[in-house]
Amino acid sequence: MVDTEARIIENTKIVPDYFLLKLKPVKDFGKVRPGQFVMLKIPGNEVFLRRPFSIYDYDRGILTVMYKVAGKGTEILSKTGKDTLTSVLGPLGNGFRVGKRDAYLTIAGGIGIAGIHLLIKELKGKASVFFGCSSNIETALLEDIAHLNPMVSTLDGSCGYKGNVVEMLKNHLETIENIDQEIFVCGPEGMLKSLKTSIDRNKISCQALVEERMACGLGLCFGCVKKTIDENEPYKRVCKEGPVFDLWEISL
Amino acid sequence: MGNISVKLFGKTLKNPVMNASGTLGYGKEIEPLWGVETLGCYVTKGLSMKPHHGNPLPRVWEERCGMINSIGLQNIGIERFFEEYFPFFKRKKTPIIVNFFGFTEDEYIICAEMIKPDKQIIALEMNLSCPNIKKGGISFGKEADTVYEIVKKVKAVTKIPLMAKLTPEVKNIVEIAAAAYEAGADGLTLINTIPAAVVDVNKRTVPIKGGLSGPVARSVALRAVYECSKAVPIPVVGVGGIMDTRDAVAFLMAGAQAIQIGTATFIDPYTIPKIIEELREYLDTHGYADFESIIGITHDQ
Repeated sequence: MVDTEARIIENTKIVPDYFLLKLKPVKDFGKVRPGQFVMLKIPGNEVFLRRPFSIYDYDRGILTVMYKVAGKGTEILSKTGKDTLTSVLGPLGNGFRVGKRDAYLTIAGGIGIAGIHLLIKELKGKASVFFGCSSNIETALLEDIAHLNPMVSTLDGSCGYKGNVVEMLKNHLETIENIDQEIFVCGPEGMLKSLKTSIDRNKISCQALVEERMACGLGLCFGCVKKTIDENEPYKRVCKEGPVFDLWEISL
Repeated sequence: MGNISVKLFGKTLKNPVMNASGTLGYGKEIEPLWGVETLGCYVTKGLSMKPHHGNPLPRVWEERCGMINSIGLQNIGIERFFEEYFPFFKRKKTPIIVNFFGFTEDEYIICAEMIKPDKQIIALEMNLSCPNIKKGGISFGKEADTVYEIVKKVKAVTKIPLMAKLTPEVKNIVEIAAAAYEAGADGLTLINTIPAAVVDVNKRTVPIKGGLSGPVARSVALRAVYECSKAVPIPVVGVGGIMDTRDAVAFLMAGAQAIQIGTATFIDPYTIPKIIEELREYLDTHGYADFESIIGITHDQ
């Protein structure tokens, strides 16, 4: 884990509201695990708490983050130009644990792809990719993994399967044999809820990457907790014990 | 080279900088970046007699120049803290202040009894901003007579120096400070977060209530430190929106014997070691031998 100055080398709009940010941190992040995140200082003085972002990629000293404009912090970030200096703290949190399986299924809902991309990349074509979004506009987020033929669902039917990604996954699971496989998911809470009721926990394991409003990103403040089924200590820190949890451990 | 150590309750702290309770986890969390032994003293997360789950979400919200939190005092309880974390501070020879709270008078008393004296424990810091469930949830710290009663009862069961951490949401904080002093408090921590609320305009839900901290709270805290440290003859530890060395020096000049850093750590996790280093430079640059010649320097004018 390092806290380092970083220069913005690219901050490109992919489609309205979605951006790809590339940074060159001065210090090396070392080994980054898929699912980990960084706390990024938003340039300027408008907001002061750092903002958490999943690590989309970290390759040859370049850190890439994909983000959606969701509030004041990301709005300022979206207007920040090339060569701006900022600070970045990371890599943080516990990423995905990837064991040996016959098959890996990755599911992303919308900007959830930002947290899943590095895992897909590291699985080098061994992962099936399921991507759900509202319309064909967001399919632009899949450009870097288009060669893996992701299965796309859109709510308005403008691309791929018409409906939600969990239904699409369910249809897929019915067609395949009972093999040793694992699901890795990142998406909105509604999607996780629906996934939880759609798959059999005894047959398939599932790790979920969740997001939460954070202050420190280091486990200091207990501000970013997720409620779990642990009765003794229900609230676990997303930044410290997470951001990846067993899907059945979290209360949705 | 200036000497940045300060005295507190007869013990020497290597510097006057502490973390504010609840802003440095259980201590170990910061270790990947810097060691807790850097601190003049580590202040524990607020501990209770039994583990406490804390509040549902959202728990943190950024405000202009500040943040609102409603963590709800989530903690593992006194027993587990002393089993799982205290040995770590012993090993690192880092003095600690144990912050604790309760929801009834009895709970405060039980907490104080549970914490046994140890040369590593500098003081107990009782959080008086907690709601008193027997009095309709009004916090213990709001009325001078309630403060007097509870401080006296807690003081009677412990040999460890006792500090009262006060809420700023009172008619006259000097009266509250005086009540704590008269009841036997050995020191004061000023101030706790300021009750505040925000509305999420996207969700249009009920306001998110919590405690306001950060730069926006600083001048409120500094005034409390100045007035209370002038009025009562016990050490005051200043806390509220200290972001840099200049702020830290201002609190010392206003009468704080030591200072605590909270929100600033979330913005820059190296704030504490940076301020400690710069305090050393401050003494050298300004030709002071130590902080004793600066603490409360504004009082005599």
